Amino acid sequence: MHPGAWIVWAACAGWVAFSTTNPFYLVVLLGAAWIVHASHRREGPASRSFRVFLLFGLWAMGTRTALVFLGTVEASSVTLALFEGFRLGVLLAVFGTFNSVTDPFGILRFAPRRFHEPALASALALSLAPRTIAATAKVREAQRLRGFRGRRWRMLPSLAVPVLENGMEAALTLAESMDARGHGSGPRTRYRPQAWGPGSWVVASTASLGAVAFLGAVIEHSGGLSPSTFPLEWPEVSSVLLIAVALLAVPALVSDGNDS
Amino acid sequence: MNPAVVFENVTFSYPESDEPALKDVSLVIPEGSFALVAGRTGSGKSTLLRAINGLVPHFSGGTFEGRVELQGRSTIDQPPRYLAGVVAFVPQDPDASFVLDRVEDELAYAMENLAVPPVTMRRRVEEVLDLMSLAELRDRSVRSLSGGERQRVAVAAALTAGPRILVLDEPTSQLDPQGAEDVLAGLQRLVHDLGLTVVLAEHRLERVAGFADLAIVCDAGSVSAGEPEPTLSEAGLGPPVARLARLAGWAETPLTVRDARQVAHRYRLPEPDLAPRFRQPPVLELVGVGASYGSRTALEDVSLSLSPGEVAALIGRNGAGKTTLLRCATGLHEVSKGTVSIAGDPPEPGRTIALCPQEPGTVLYKDTVVAEVAATFAARGLLDRDKVSDLLNRFGLAAHASDHPRDLSAGEQLLVATAAIVATGASVLLLDEPTRGLDPESKGLLGGFLRDFASRGGAVMFATHDVELVAAVADRVVLLAGGEVIADGSPSEVLGDSHVFSPQMTRVFGPGWLTPEQVARALVPS
Repeated sequence: MHPGAWIVWAACAGWVAFSTTNPFYLVVLLGAAWIVHASHRREGPASRSFRVFLLFGLWAMGTRTALVFLGTVEASSVTLALFEGFRLGVLLAVFGTFNSVTDPFGILRFAPRRFHEPALASALALSLAPRTIAATAKVREAQRLRGFRGRRWRMLPSLAVPVLENGMEAALTLAESMDARGHGSGPRTRYRPQAWGPGSWVVASTASLGAVAFLGAVIEHSGGLSPSTFPLEWPEVSSVLLIAVALLAVPALVSDGNDS
Repeated sequence: MNPAVVFENVTFSYPESDEPALKDVSLVIPEGSFALVAGRTGSGKSTLLRAINGLVPHFSGGTFEGRVELQGRSTIDQPPRYLAGVVAFVPQDPDASFVLDRVEDELAYAMENLAVPPVTMRRRVEEVLDLMSLAELRDRSVRSLSGGERQRVAVAAALTAGPRILVLDEPTSQLDPQGAEDVLAGLQRLVHDLGLTVVLAEHRLERVAGFADLAIVCDAGSVSAGEPEPTLSEAGLGPPVARLARLAGWAETPLTVRDARQVAHRYRLPEPDLAPRFRQPPVLELVGVGASYGSRTALEDVSLSLSPGEVAALIGRNGAGKTTLLRCATGLHEVSKGTVSIAGDPPEPGRTIALCPQEPGTVLYKDTVVAEVAATFAARGLLDRDKVSDLLNRFGLAAHASDHPRDLSAGEQLLVATAAIVATGASVLLLDEPTRGLDPESKGLLGGFLRDFASRGGAVMFATHDVELVAAVADRVVLLAGGEVIADGSPSEVLGDSHVFSPQMTRVFGPGWLTPEQVARALVPS
């Protein structure tokens, strides 16, 4: 798949999550993100990013809901917090899928020359998550080997310090390596550029169609995008929008070989 | 011959350091030479290598005086990226230097930056994939490869750019003996056929000394260079055959097994002592153990036991399953069949069994060496100053007790990490490639510790590619291939019987002879 097709998919899925707090649409979107991750994830530690971002999402949802309990607790406010927390969680899961299916530096190679610098910064930022995930797993193991058990917060320094220090060292080595290998020395050529083939067309167009349907619903104020929680009402669901969300799962049906 | 690299009175200090890392270095490396850079850890080897392509001082900062020229171009005037077409650099840890995900893309990365035409790129990638035997891995993700495979990818990625000078920092540290031989022979072919200049740092001189035609010895920032034999001898460095020559007082110092044989036929040796050792009842037992990663089988029906007092070495090709075996024995990787037990109970990592991981950096988090070791004792609820300082002494780390672990050399960090793991008090100690990047001195220290640990009733097993370490330290060798144990016995039996895994003394004098010390004691003129 062309990396551009994944950017389009992620942008559309992100927009859909952003436009609604309706849990029914969001649950379908979460399923779509999972199935796309499961069918296109890369080898190695990067494939763990979906799970990590999902956990991060659950934590965000929990925190968002817990905040409500600081004020007046009512069914309405708790539900609203749950809906908004869930939206945030799904958004993070979509990002996790994007991380697990694309190589950030692959996107860098495909970026046009004039966007090279911002693309480099984004690639570095995107690669941080999988790198940190891999580093954390190794350090957690080292803690076990030293017999560190017990409360999480007491173990935090022995986890955070090596992860951050190794991360810093790795980032420096990467920067050196890129420079030593001529990065940014002038015009460049492309090795076997990835074709934007039928598979990429299918992924990009179905994702766009789904996003456009939600754009329409936002403009028309229809489809139950933001269910009322004050008063508390059962969310309205539009079958058109359900189909639109489901379109984001289409990449799962497209094999990576379709483009070559 | 034209010079490829010229150092003119180079003095360099890292930021916030009083002691220069390079002191008034003047050096000429002629075009088409295979230069070996040797010296202790912390002697300035890595700094010298990084100064060749300008990473020092452009990335390191610090104060730099003098001049480095590559084929007439100064490294100071422009950042390293503009020299990428002339010089390629392979760093010690290939993992952190990979930019792209797929092997094939990684190989093309430097060429893309240098605007090499696509047709040429295709051809060069194919050539280098064959040269480094990587064709089968071309579509894999670099992050999913084994350590040895990654190292070959890193060398390949440097070669594709078509540099005239290739600088490599310990490029075979994670390769098995045959893999290392292949990579080095490949480099030598490029030197001979294409006039490439290779500058390579290595501690394991037994691997490289035969290929080098120039030796560069670093010692506390000073550099001397010349013909390999006299230069290395003068610095007291050399492979085991050279050590034997020193111990036995030979007039000439051989650097290769072949040279040593020509001297050795003037001497004779008695029959080696091959008496079997007494073994205590085992403490660690693996019975019919199998393990896999997804659909890929890593271990198949491995049965193995380890007794108190034993130091066992686990050897085998890259990807043979050594790391997986250690992880299964520790309980870090789930076995798909069979059982693992320590004195009858399942293994408890950090309590009944200890494993030193490959990367010491994952262990270290305290500000001082002494605090690092004390933290492990504290986790057991014991904080005994005497125990901490005793352990530091046994690792030769007492002088570094209040240093920051991350300021130490890679070899010293490894010793600190090992000490912090040993402090768990487990009586079974496993180590995964414990001598990567260690100089002979630190290696001797670690070897001494392992023997001492075993003599106090502990059991040790370490995975390694370093056959000379096995010869010096182990009293038992387990050979793994394709996830199965294919040989298990004394070093004399297993190493003596092997083409690839035999130490230099065995190659010269036959099975049963393992270390220069052992041979020197028994050698008599014929």
